[in-house]
Amino acid sequence: MKLLGFLNLRGISGQIAALVLASIVAIHLILTTTFLINRPDQPDPSIDRGHNQLLAVAQLLGTSPAADRPQLFADIAKTFPQLEIEALPPDFVPAGDADNPELHSLRRRLGNNYRTFPLPKGEDTNKVGIALPDGAMISAKLLRPRPFWQGQWVLTLLFAVVSVTLLGLWAARALTAPLSSFAKAAEDFSLNGAAAPLPERGPEEIRSVAKALNRMRERITTLIDDRTKMLAAISHDLRTPITRMRLRAEFIEDDAHRSRMLRDLEQMRSMLEAVLSFLRNDRKLESMTLVDIATSLQLITDQFADMGHKVAYDGPEHAMATVRPDDLHRSVTNLVENAVRYGAEATIRLRVSPDTATIEVEDDGPGISDARKEVMLEPFVRGDDARNMDEASGFGLGLSIARTIVLAHHGAMSLNDRQPHGLIVRIQLPVRQPNRQAAA
Amino acid sequence: MATASPNILVVDDDRETRSLIAKYLRGNGCNVTVAIDGREMVRAMADHRVDLLILDVMLPGEDGLSLCRKVRAESQVPIIMLTARGEDVDRILGLEMGADDYLAKPFNPRELLARINAVLRRHAAAQTATAINGATALTFLGWRIDFRLRELRNPAGARVAMTSAEFDLLRTFCERPGRVLSRDSLLDLTQGRNAGSFERSIDVLVSRIRRKIESDPQDATMIKTVRSGGYMFTPAVDPVAVPAGGRS
Repeated sequence: MKLLGFLNLRGISGQIAALVLASIVAIHLILTTTFLINRPDQPDPSIDRGHNQLLAVAQLLGTSPAADRPQLFADIAKTFPQLEIEALPPDFVPAGDADNPELHSLRRRLGNNYRTFPLPKGEDTNKVGIALPDGAMISAKLLRPRPFWQGQWVLTLLFAVVSVTLLGLWAARALTAPLSSFAKAAEDFSLNGAAAPLPERGPEEIRSVAKALNRMRERITTLIDDRTKMLAAISHDLRTPITRMRLRAEFIEDDAHRSRMLRDLEQMRSMLEAVLSFLRNDRKLESMTLVDIATSLQLITDQFADMGHKVAYDGPEHAMATVRPDDLHRSVTNLVENAVRYGAEATIRLRVSPDTATIEVEDDGPGISDARKEVMLEPFVRGDDARNMDEASGFGLGLSIARTIVLAHHGAMSLNDRQPHGLIVRIQLPVRQPNRQAAA
Repeated sequence: MATASPNILVVDDDRETRSLIAKYLRGNGCNVTVAIDGREMVRAMADHRVDLLILDVMLPGEDGLSLCRKVRAESQVPIIMLTARGEDVDRILGLEMGADDYLAKPFNPRELLARINAVLRRHAAAQTATAINGATALTFLGWRIDFRLRELRNPAGARVAMTSAEFDLLRTFCERPGRVLSRDSLLDLTQGRNAGSFERSIDVLVSRIRRKIESDPQDATMIKTVRSGGYMFTPAVDPVAVPAGGRS
């Protein structure tokens, strides 16, 4: 069965074999037909007829009296213009006797009283001279067969080869086109499930690859759904004990003890929120709306100032942009959280141009070395692992979540150095979003 | 406290959470009844007067959202929803079902108390009903404040970011236009005196609101400072008719 696999017309090898076979058969058919119609091995009948005409005309002139000839020349020129029969002047001296086979055969067929001779160089090479029995000389055009590359059948064949080749290329492309669409589909694969499944058509092998890819996609989506559900369930279940502890903490008499406990609980809560928001980022997008982002940044500044951090806002009082307000709030909050964790002071800057809003979160901390900048954007990576161990302040999702949100806004986020030390995280957002479906 | 000691019904299926909330609220001058699910809730509401309902979204049997809708169909009792899912969708859904406020677990108990006080006070004010007090959204000078979505939009239609304390204060102003409100009464109307020191002072909140809504915060025209009195909200306020289920 395997050995005869190429005979299977639904398989890619079978289809290619059929294609090659069909091309060969097509070329052969055309070749044979052309050959049968044109018969290049036979003398061209039209050429033969031309020679016969010349023979007849020459003999007619040879047997007619010299006085009738001018009249005859005129009649012949009218009847057989392609022969271009002309009388040569009586003092014309033939250059020599016929020495090529064509002239020989012509002379043999004309008879012994006639002579043929080539015309001198410079004249049309197709013309020959013929001396009639009475010595008068005429010149005539000799119809020669066209060289073979000008023959009709060659043109037909050339056309056939070119068109069969083009057809073959097109068919081969049609066979393999689904393959190149796979690469694109794999690149475009994203977890929001928006991309359509691959079409399952074409040769059998390609269909089975498409089917396998589609199944793999489903499995990945299911896997991620399961992961999301599991983490959401864990977070949900953790909230109940944290809620209880939060309530119970209110009954602790010792103030110092209570505030420490509340701080721990707050940390647990924010870690849960971070995980949930990280999971949420790819899906369930908040809808875009026009927002006064300057007030959003002022709000974040106020919130951090209320918690006792040195955070300043530098920018216009009002600035409109189309964003997802809660997402933007979380994104910038994450950046400011990092800024106040590593630096003593933080500044939120806003610059607005007609189509871009640039938000910068600047701190005076140690900054991030160039080598680490790219890594820092990955989820679950923290700035300085050693220093953070006792703090255990987060999962290292802050920057990653912030960037995901910015990218979902069709914006860009970059990490830059501040002089003399510190970090500037720059977010650039389009003020207007292109359209709703592009945001999805 | 708006009422001397309000009767609060707590509906939560987690025994510990339920009794801890009850204990905390009793310690802060409330009468508390508890219920495990919808059936017990209905029985408790039939048995005694309930001033405010605290309803968990995740309940065995009928869930909190549908209970909320049922209660709202029959009475105007204020409802605060609790949920373990802190997502926007739930918040908006809860408010559309007729809940007055919403808290995500794990919540700060003091904030729960502050919200209870705020909701009870708003409810008391709504009893002496005016058009403004019954509305779910108000407009002033092209601005629009939506109580259900808890959002403020400027005349250009852009959402203006506010903390919940700022929003509650602006709401209090909007519901009492043209009246001089002292700092003490504003504190009473928004946070309650025993809400704790974690909230900012009224003056700080007013200056932050001014920065967001006044064209010149230094020379405020909307929220005017009344010498030795407090503040007054000067613009004319109109209720907005919101089409049923209409939200962007």
